[in-house]
Amino acid sequence: MLLPCVVIFALFIVWPLGKSVSLSLHGSDLFGRPDAFVGLQHYRDMLGSAEFRHILWVTFAFVLLTVIPGVLGGLAIVLLLEQHIRGIRIFRTAFALPFAFSVASASVIFATIYNPAIGLANGLLGRFGVDRIGWLTDPEWALISVSITTVWMSIGYNVLVLSAGIGAIPTEINEAATLDGAGGWRAARFITVPMLGPQLFFLIVISTIQSLQGFGQIKILTPEGGPEQSTKTLVYSIYHTAFANNASDFGAASAQAIVLLVILLACTAIQFGVLERRVHYK
Amino acid sequence: MRSVRQRRTATAATLLAVVALVAAGCGGGDSSGDTASGGQDAPGADALDKATGVTKVTFWHGMKGANGEAVDKLVKAFNAEHTGKIEVTAVYQGDYDETITKYKTSVQQGNTPSVVQIYDIGSRFMIDSKQTVPVQSFADKDGYTLDSIEPNIANYYSIDGKLNSMPFNTSMPLLYINKEAFVKAGLDPAKPPTNLDEIMEAAKKLTIKQGGKTVQYGFNAAIYGWFMEQLIAQSGTTYCDNENGRKDLATQVNFADEQGVKVATWYQQMVKLGYMPNTGKKTDDAQAVFKSGTSAMHLESTGALRGYLDAAKGKFTVLTAPFPKITASDTGGPIIGGASLWVDGPGHSDAEKRASWEFVKFASSPAQQAAWHTGTGYFPINSKALDLPEDKAWVAQYPQFTTAITQLHNTKPSNASSGCILGVMPQSRKASEDGLEKAVLGTDPTQAMKAAADSIKPQIDQYNKTVKK
Repeated sequence: MLLPCVVIFALFIVWPLGKSVSLSLHGSDLFGRPDAFVGLQHYRDMLGSAEFRHILWVTFAFVLLTVIPGVLGGLAIVLLLEQHIRGIRIFRTAFALPFAFSVASASVIFATIYNPAIGLANGLLGRFGVDRIGWLTDPEWALISVSITTVWMSIGYNVLVLSAGIGAIPTEINEAATLDGAGGWRAARFITVPMLGPQLFFLIVISTIQSLQGFGQIKILTPEGGPEQSTKTLVYSIYHTAFANNASDFGAASAQAIVLLVILLACTAIQFGVLERRVHYK
Repeated sequence: MRSVRQRRTATAATLLAVVALVAAGCGGGDSSGDTASGGQDAPGADALDKATGVTKVTFWHGMKGANGEAVDKLVKAFNAEHTGKIEVTAVYQGDYDETITKYKTSVQQGNTPSVVQIYDIGSRFMIDSKQTVPVQSFADKDGYTLDSIEPNIANYYSIDGKLNSMPFNTSMPLLYINKEAFVKAGLDPAKPPTNLDEIMEAAKKLTIKQGGKTVQYGFNAAIYGWFMEQLIAQSGTTYCDNENGRKDLATQVNFADEQGVKVATWYQQMVKLGYMPNTGKKTDDAQAVFKSGTSAMHLESTGALRGYLDAAKGKFTVLTAPFPKITASDTGGPIIGGASLWVDGPGHSDAEKRASWEFVKFASSPAQQAAWHTGTGYFPINSKALDLPEDKAWVAQYPQFTTAITQLHNTKPSNASSGCILGVMPQSRKASEDGLEKAVLGTDPTQAMKAAADSIKPQIDQYNKTVKK
């Protein structure tokens, strides 16, 4: 049974990966075909450029701005949804709903909300006497605005996963805790959250990967990497180098892709090394 | 508790999944392409006459919505006229950028379409790709006259007076005006501003603040490199060296020179003084502001006119005025771009090339261009189209469009108004936008434009090196 698996793995993973490495060592002609062998030139150019350091920084900031609020926000919502109030099912559905939106439609909706002159966000702020904010046009704000959209889109999924996790916690544990006098906050802090460990760990790993690969919302909300390149993440940069504006530097783009792969592997390895030790599996 | 071994397996599986997720995004293109040179010559008419059966033509384009429907109508009309002989299949390939990207892939795979629609700024790339037959060659072979093609439009797609591709859809930039806002501010909408200084002056009067909040902006426009190109052409100077790349491959862009800096300074001032909101580089966002009636003056292409008229219905009156010049003394004119049709040579049979030429001729004929004009709002590239009754009726219904016609006919063809032909023109446009944006955000305009021009230099050099090899 192992053979088909190995074949598929080789075909769809090892071969493209090898191809990417090979492309990253070549120059590109007018049509993006590899031409002269350039060795590690692309890597040297990339690692030596201030722009690339800026891109890495933006990527890192984007991960922090999306993973932490996304997972913590999802957790907060799920804990609140645990309250026994009427109509809780409606809220549950409502909070999981963003998951059903496609990246493109959510981004387009947010783009109209963020319009600096006629958008909803500045309209609401105006009522409270707050000055207009250049949500997507101010370099200080652009990444935050894109992150807000990303969190909004990912939180539905997080709520779903954590809700399922909570449902799986045996009721005896909570009953025992209640008998011992631990209610509300204490029960959440010492029972529910630790019991959600596997789900939280899963979400952190998956969100980090998704965040590092986030593309649609960045491209739609802030074309060309945003004001002063403030939203140019590594994935966007790969696209930009390889395809945007009739560019076809597949060599340099592949080199960036390899760097992204290394970063992803490192992040995931660290998460498994550090976080997984603290996870309590039933 | 799970065993360590179980956990290791899980770890390994997740790591593999990560590799898979990433690797899936990094596939490369196939390197075995067919670049057989030759095939760039125009065959004689007998190639098609001798052909048996139906000659198939694939046509890739980047038109969607109403424009896409107009393309389908055009193709249907052509096929009806050539039943049993030629059959054209139109394929929508996404926007202009996507179309050229897919075209590149098709070159790699040696499987190009028979005819492809490519945006104006992709022209240099198309020439250097050596995949096409210049339409001039067909015309010369047949003794077919291209005289009725608007000379200003033909100019963009010609080098040394030789037409490379057939102009198809053309748009021009205009100054859009909200008539009611003008009247309310005591300005005469019949005498619109004609240069950047006048726009600033009018914008001052047209900006309305209530309780410290701007409720109406005097002016708005996207941070759009196309406007920079247009304004530089208006000044009568060139956008890139070697006579806008028409004498030899251009080696540098000129938007960091006096004219470009003037434009950047003006953008900066307009935003700083609060006459214009900074809506960024996306034209959609700038368009939304004008459509909502929140701005009194606005720069956009003629292609936006139809949408503006619909959006403003019952709210305000949209007027059009000639695109502004930088200063009153400027003597140039706007560039007439858009997109054109390229006939592919290598890898296609002579009969197919001839069939493509027939289709391209048909698309540029007066009747089809009149249908195209009235169906889309694009400018007719065939001057005879404007004389047809259906076209006249349309212009009478939308008098706002006459501005564009006058503007086109008033422009004296020159290297400046032909526009820069540069291999990395799309990237260069984006670079100029980066410069404009930096200026708007507060950087010194001279420095901002200089940095932008410098950033594109290595790409120009790289391109020229690749082409000259």
